[in-house]
Amino acid sequence: MEIFTENYFETGAIILFGIGFVTLMLHSNLIKKIIGMNIMDTAIFLFFISKGYVTNKEAPIVVDITKNPDSYINPVPSALMLTGIVVAVTTTAFALALTIKLYKHYNTIDLEKILEMREES
Amino acid sequence: MIKKDIILKEVGKIIIPLVQIFGIYIIVNGHLSSGGGFSGGTVLASSLIIMHLIYGEAYVEKNIKKETLIKFISISLIFYAVVKGYSFLSDVYNLPHPALGPVGKIFSAGFILYLNIVLGILVASIFYIIFSIFISKEV
Amino acid sequence: MIKFIPLINILILILFSFIILITKKEKNVKLMSFASNIITFLLSILLLTRVLLEDFIVLNLGKNNSLLGIQFYIGSSEAVISLTFTFVMLMILWFSNSSVKKEVSEIRISFFYILINILLASLLGVIYSNDLFNSYVFIEVSTLSACGLIILKDKKENIKATVKYLIMSTIGSGLVLMAIAYIYSITGHLNITNINEVIVSSYQSHQNAVLIILGLFTVGLGIKSAVFPLHSWLPDAHSSAPTPASAALSALVIKVYVFMLIKILFRMFTYEIVNSFIIMDIILLLGSMGMIFGSIMAIFQKELKRMIAYSSVAQMGYIVFGIGLGTISGTAIATYHIIGHAVTKSSLFLISGLMIEKTSSKKIEDLKGIGREMPITLGLFTLGAFSMVGIPILPGFISKWYLSLACIEVGRVPLILIILASSLLNVLYYFPIIINGFFGNENLDGKIYKSKKIELSRLIPIFFLVLSIILVGAFSSKLINLF
Repeated sequence: MEIFTENYFETGAIILFGIGFVTLMLHSNLIKKIIGMNIMDTAIFLFFISKGYVTNKEAPIVVDITKNPDSYINPVPSALMLTGIVVAVTTTAFALALTIKLYKHYNTIDLEKILEMREES
Repeated sequence: MIKKDIILKEVGKIIIPLVQIFGIYIIVNGHLSSGGGFSGGTVLASSLIIMHLIYGEAYVEKNIKKETLIKFISISLIFYAVVKGYSFLSDVYNLPHPALGPVGKIFSAGFILYLNIVLGILVASIFYIIFSIFISKEV
Repeated sequence: MIKFIPLINILILILFSFIILITKKEKNVKLMSFASNIITFLLSILLLTRVLLEDFIVLNLGKNNSLLGIQFYIGSSEAVISLTFTFVMLMILWFSNSSVKKEVSEIRISFFYILINILLASLLGVIYSNDLFNSYVFIEVSTLSACGLIILKDKKENIKATVKYLIMSTIGSGLVLMAIAYIYSITGHLNITNINEVIVSSYQSHQNAVLIILGLFTVGLGIKSAVFPLHSWLPDAHSSAPTPASAALSALVIKVYVFMLIKILFRMFTYEIVNSFIIMDIILLLGSMGMIFGSIMAIFQKELKRMIAYSSVAQMGYIVFGIGLGTISGTAIATYHIIGHAVTKSSLFLISGLMIEKTSSKKIEDLKGIGREMPITLGLFTLGAFSMVGIPILPGFISKWYLSLACIEVGRVPLILIILASSLLNVLYYFPIIINGFFGNENLDGKIYKSKKIELSRLIPIFFLVLSIILVGAFSSKLINLF
């Protein structure tokens, strides 16, 4: 049990990932699936960024004087995740555009009903 | 659609320039503190979106046409690709590059400042075009 | 200067695609995309000759900072694969010169060329890069451009296929990113060579973590390359896309992820470490099930393109099977099959596109007797199908032969039965098309000889592809010794 409470960042990230995944799989409304995808991606970013945290150090912003590099947290994961966030936003935009198109064709955004309609046509 | 309310218009006249200045501040400070092209571009795009929502589509179309935005996008993309390639080559072959000044000043860190500005324009234009396509329902 | 060719390749493709964005005339658009792809192809030839001399090239971008910088590593397998990909893409573009107009509406034609350029640039990026995060970025770009290519044709089934593909790909990318986060937290490096050094010396203390990382990478990259249980997006996506796009997707895109899996499994974690975990047996099992189930599902299909798409699932099973054997020869076969399948499957898709266009129907039963109407086309299809099935000299047979030899080398002889069974199943679904096309009197009744002939100029790219199939088969021993 101590493992879970000591690394609370990672535990929180995994729980969020689980919530996002379940939302993606179980709901049949497309908008809820997109929300689930977003929660999943955010959980992974949290997991990665928390790997850069060093206790009791501060954020790597130069205020007036540059300090010793040892007194800052590791900035590499944050910089890498910036790209990841942009990719997640782009995927969300694309998925939303597809949802609008699906609505125009089928007049519903319920994925199960859409699959049924496909079997008939 | 949205009633052209007079309170919104008057408040908008004051707020939207402030939002844009904030966006430019975030972009220019990309290499000193958090921010950079992506987040600053998003804030600039949100100012354009607010303008679209308050003043209606015709007003924004008159001043910022879609073709101009697409030209902005392609020119900034080409500029970005060329400068990125140049920066990679200049590190190896010692070609000239902008100042790597002291830490903490604005004109430091070589290419990052100019790339951030170009990125900000790019992101703002792209988000505004996506929004206008969504809201006109002709995806 | 030759050292910079990978960077120049990717930059030229991306630069030209952005220039196409502001070009208005269609003729200029096609000219530019052609020019960029020809330049890329010639540069890949140069790259291959240099790599054959020097054994591998490492290109550091940024000031030689291999701890955090971007690094491109080109060994012999990467150079050959990049040559194949640029060649196949050039042929697909040549073919699409005349057939894009028929499937995609006028205003979107320039988007097709833009997306093809970006797709090729990102695939080359994944192949060349030696850096985990760099390859992640290129994987995402390739996913998005592949989805864009499917949605160019504006029908209902396309939209559904794209939604499925997009959601499953995002889950895959998420798992890959989580695996990268795990590796970063254990070793503190992101560069494959550095991680290799750290892992070899210290993996004993992290057994569980390494198992989780291997599992996450396999599942994540497996979703994107249509490994057996996670392949359900593939038939819809590849059968409803416009023909040149589905040729590009099926021949190039799914291969790149499994090549990255090869890089991770065997270059990052060495052969000994990976063989000591149970994950190799699972990969072997999934590969064999993929081979059999893909072929079985292909027999029951009624549409031509869906059948070829299911055949892609089966062929990916071969490659995964080769990886799962866990020896150097197994991996060499897998890489050889990547190249062989790329040329074969693209020519099959392009030919089927021609046949569908001339008979205006997608179903297989409407292709009866087509041998009399389009003899040359069906002849080329026969060559491709022979290679898939495993007739000697052609690359399909060579992959199966060497896979069986590798099975014996590992000591698991019963696996040869699976290879034989899937070859027989391949016969069951390819040969009816050929037989019904050429023979059978009631089929040939009423069809006029060469009535639906295609102009030779459109067939030339397919000629080249089929020629390369034969060449790849003939020079196979030389290629395999390279890997």
